[in-house]
Amino acid sequence: MTFAFHASDWLLLAPELFLTAMGLLLLGLSVALGKTKEDFLAFLATVSVGITGALVAFVATRPERATPILGGAFVVDNFALFFKALVLLSLALTVLASARYVGAAPYPGGEYYALLLFSGVGMLFMASGNNLISIYVALELMALSSYVLAGYFKAEPKSTEAALKYFILGAFSSGVLLYGLSLVYGAGGVMGLPELAKLLASASRSNLLMLGILLILAGLLFKIAAVPFHVWTPDVYEGSPTPVTAFFSVGPKVAAYAILARIFYVAFAKFHADWGFVVALVSAATMVLGNVAALLQSNVKRMLAYSSIANAGYALLGVLGFRTEWGLWGILIYLLAYTFMNFGAFTLIILLESKGYAGESVSDFNGLAKRSMPAAVVMLLFLLSLAGIPPTAGFIGKYYLFTAAMKAGYAWLAILAVVMSAVSLFYYFRIAAAMFFTEGSPAKLKSSYALSAVIAVCAVGTLVIGVVPQPFLEVLKSCVLGR
Amino acid sequence: MTITINHYLIVSFLLFSIGFLGVLVRRNFLTILMSIELMLNAVNLNLIAFSRRLSDLTGQVFSIFVITIAAGEAAIGLALTISFFRQKKTLDVEEAHTMQG
Amino acid sequence: MDALLRDHLVSVVVFLPLAGAVLLLLLPRSAASAARNIAFGVSVLDLIVSVPLWTRFLVGVPGFQLRERIDWIPQLGITYNVGLDGISLLLVMLTTVLTPVSLLFSLTHVEKEVRGYSVAFLVLETGMLGSLVALDLALFYVFWEVMLVPMYFIIGIWGGPRRIYASMKFFLFTMSGSLLMFLAILFVAIRHHTATGAWSFALEDLTRMTFTGRVETYLFLAFALAFAIKVPVFPLHTWLPDAHTEAPTAGSIILAGVMLKLGAYGYLRFALPLFPDAAMRFAPWLGVLGVIGVIYGAMVAYAQHDMKRLVAYSSVSHLGLVVIGIGAFTTMSLSGSILQMVNHGLSTGALFLLVGVLYERRHTRELDAYGGIAAVVPVTTALFLIATLSSIGLPGLNGFVGEFTILLGTWLSPHRWWSAAAATGVILSAIYMLTLVQRVFWNPLVVEENRKLTDVRPSEFVAAATLVVLMVWIGVRPNDVLDRIRPAVESLQKSVAARQVALHESARPEISEVRR
Repeated sequence: MTFAFHASDWLLLAPELFLTAMGLLLLGLSVALGKTKEDFLAFLATVSVGITGALVAFVATRPERATPILGGAFVVDNFALFFKALVLLSLALTVLASARYVGAAPYPGGEYYALLLFSGVGMLFMASGNNLISIYVALELMALSSYVLAGYFKAEPKSTEAALKYFILGAFSSGVLLYGLSLVYGAGGVMGLPELAKLLASASRSNLLMLGILLILAGLLFKIAAVPFHVWTPDVYEGSPTPVTAFFSVGPKVAAYAILARIFYVAFAKFHADWGFVVALVSAATMVLGNVAALLQSNVKRMLAYSSIANAGYALLGVLGFRTEWGLWGILIYLLAYTFMNFGAFTLIILLESKGYAGESVSDFNGLAKRSMPAAVVMLLFLLSLAGIPPTAGFIGKYYLFTAAMKAGYAWLAILAVVMSAVSLFYYFRIAAAMFFTEGSPAKLKSSYALSAVIAVCAVGTLVIGVVPQPFLEVLKSCVLGR
Repeated sequence: MTITINHYLIVSFLLFSIGFLGVLVRRNFLTILMSIELMLNAVNLNLIAFSRRLSDLTGQVFSIFVITIAAGEAAIGLALTISFFRQKKTLDVEEAHTMQG
Repeated sequence: MDALLRDHLVSVVVFLPLAGAVLLLLLPRSAASAARNIAFGVSVLDLIVSVPLWTRFLVGVPGFQLRERIDWIPQLGITYNVGLDGISLLLVMLTTVLTPVSLLFSLTHVEKEVRGYSVAFLVLETGMLGSLVALDLALFYVFWEVMLVPMYFIIGIWGGPRRIYASMKFFLFTMSGSLLMFLAILFVAIRHHTATGAWSFALEDLTRMTFTGRVETYLFLAFALAFAIKVPVFPLHTWLPDAHTEAPTAGSIILAGVMLKLGAYGYLRFALPLFPDAAMRFAPWLGVLGVIGVIYGAMVAYAQHDMKRLVAYSSVSHLGLVVIGIGAFTTMSLSGSILQMVNHGLSTGALFLLVGVLYERRHTRELDAYGGIAAVVPVTTALFLIATLSSIGLPGLNGFVGEFTILLGTWLSPHRWWSAAAATGVILSAIYMLTLVQRVFWNPLVVEENRKLTDVRPSEFVAAATLVVLMVWIGVRPNDVLDRIRPAVESLQKSVAARQVALHESARPEISEVRR
């Protein structure tokens, strides 16, 4: 393995380096400013994410990105760029959705934004990680920041408890993942994914290798909150500050899927038959448990937590579909759709929360149509999309996932997914019914420009992907991983 | 008796299992934190043993990364534990049940 | 404008209501009367625009006409692909007639959230029309789902006391069926892709595929279930009485008039040509369920005390007849079924409308609350009587032609006893419908409030009279309609028979008999 720095390395790393620098700056400012000038910090964080996005766009145009850098540990292929864009999108939405919430909380905002950006840096590295070490380090950077974010409301018992639970299960799953990584390393002595793929292509099945693969799978399934590793999700989602919950439901999951795809699509493709069966069972269990448990919830945040578990189950159909590119495309388009619709739904909860933890029960959505018709209509759009009803983004996403599953020979799972989508209508439409059919408090909704912008972006994204998916599908087509 | 790679793997597997079970069954947050450390160290042992056997340095490099991150993880874990203790005056995991369902 | 109407007439008809809905959204929420008038105006305009469909449609020519094709999602082979044959033409016309009629009724009777109501109706109209003209399965599915959401709200917001339960039930029933259909559509398209290397959802491409054995059975059942729920075929009908009872009058008119027909339409348009072998194998079951539906619906209808519920169960019975006609699969029975779909739309639409008229005045639909009001409201009575007579198949009105064609067509099929059983249903329908008229309009007037009933308003009269005129027209000149249906039916039969021959070297005897 040759290892040398080139000038172009700095160029390709520019987005990550810039975001890190801004995170440090925010942290410093936070110490200096304390609980003042938070709007400015929010603005700064937004701008940082925006500039990082511009840098990513710039990197995308550079010819240098054809070769991996840092000894092959960091690649900037189209696949990585897609995920970077997605990560930055969720980051920008989170920052915007947080401004009012964080401003009202009695904790310094600078820390919050700094942690958010650090977590973002981790995710950006995850998108580009092409080596087991870099993937692990990136994952931990994201995870460690997330644990603290979950406990950001440190005087709230719920928040601390959420953070602690998230931490223990997260560290535990990291341990499992690492043990798997060490076993896979032992099988061949290489850490780079392309090298690993080459090595495994000629390797035979060995118990040690299989155990390694399954442990890695288990560790990653935890990150995407699949059954039976889902136990952390509802508590963490309910206990964390809502913008953080919204962020958790998209950002870290998106990044985890990026590495899941890279590792299992590229390196472990040969053993699809072995791990595919496990993924199929997990996917089935995840869809069933997520949807059925969501039926029983009265807290909307918790309901959406279970719904996001169910959605992880659908997305696993894409992992199963890794036999063909459809699996990859399915995951990409579904995550894009999911980012818009799920974040949008969470932002509506933020909008309804006047302060603290109020506004989370289904009954708080009562009569929303009376209070603000646009808010109710937009929420309906997100719910329809989550349920996968055309012409919304969720439909296109499910379309790809179901196709991928059927092409990989898992028609029974696709049928189960459809049945479960029907079940999900029950609880999604409980919210819809509450908004439109019942009377609620007549108080006017108070929105802010930032929140309105987030909701608008999510709504437009959800609708546009559903109605004119063609341009997005063109992008997808260019995001194939070589193997 | 010569010590082979298998011996290392067995020791590391035992360490990992102890840590694994510890996280699942112990009720004290500090003990759980220690169990997690055990898991990570089992990984380190694995990495170094493999590295030696394969005559490849990457494994050792990885283990240094793991140690570093484990330190960060421990710092955050302890901070959260203290924060929890301040609120509940206990380290018992059973007390973490504010949310249910 | 001329070019638009010449080359894209179908699209204009489909999307005009949607454009109207968007326009309405630009109005302030409080502009109730403006919203009402615009919605009604748009639907009338759509009716006017749709008349050239009828005149430009070439009678006697098989296949689809007035076609348009634009790539929508080329990557997936999904096209915006629309066109009309006789079957869809009739149902499109029915839709463009019934929507203004129901909105005309709503002009005076809806006070709550008028703008939202109008938007829901216009979006619904686009959904229905789109489903009727789509020749691409993915496009069809999109329109099919678009249709559900507005109806969910129409029942859920403007409905009766148990509206939330009813709207939920309606939505979940129809949605669960259609989700399985979506999977079947995907499966068929993937098979097509595997076989040809190209993605396509176009009906013409997919009908060229042949499926056999269990795969075909499952796919057929997925489609059939979605459509059977919509029709609704016994025993999947339980959502219907609830939905009808709770829906506002205009919602009931559209639900019974058009949406139920889409089930039968979807079956004829998609399930039959795609899976002819399975469809033929299951045809006897379909017929038997139809027979059960006819008799069960009639008997339950007789036991109802609520006028709307009675009419709802009569729909189950009448649509059972349509299902029998499809199951029998002779040219005549199929034509009759299609005609009967239109007839049922007109007569049941009118019945719901007039029940709505009475309800708006007395706020009750109990049969016992009325009686002897024929002298008080003579015009209402006359209109109601004509609608009833049409519904029970009195010669000279449309219902007779439809029912007679179905019964005769079924008699010519191998399943004669269906025809006999269905005839009993027709007699039963005469009994319960005439009992309804008797109890509401003629029995002695005992409830004093009924003396103060006012007769139909001009707008209500126009709405009901339009339907009556159409009933008489089809009754007197049924060939205007049947001529447009026949080529479509024949080409449907021909394609099914051809596929059957291709599948089995020698066609099975009952098939050859059917083809006669």
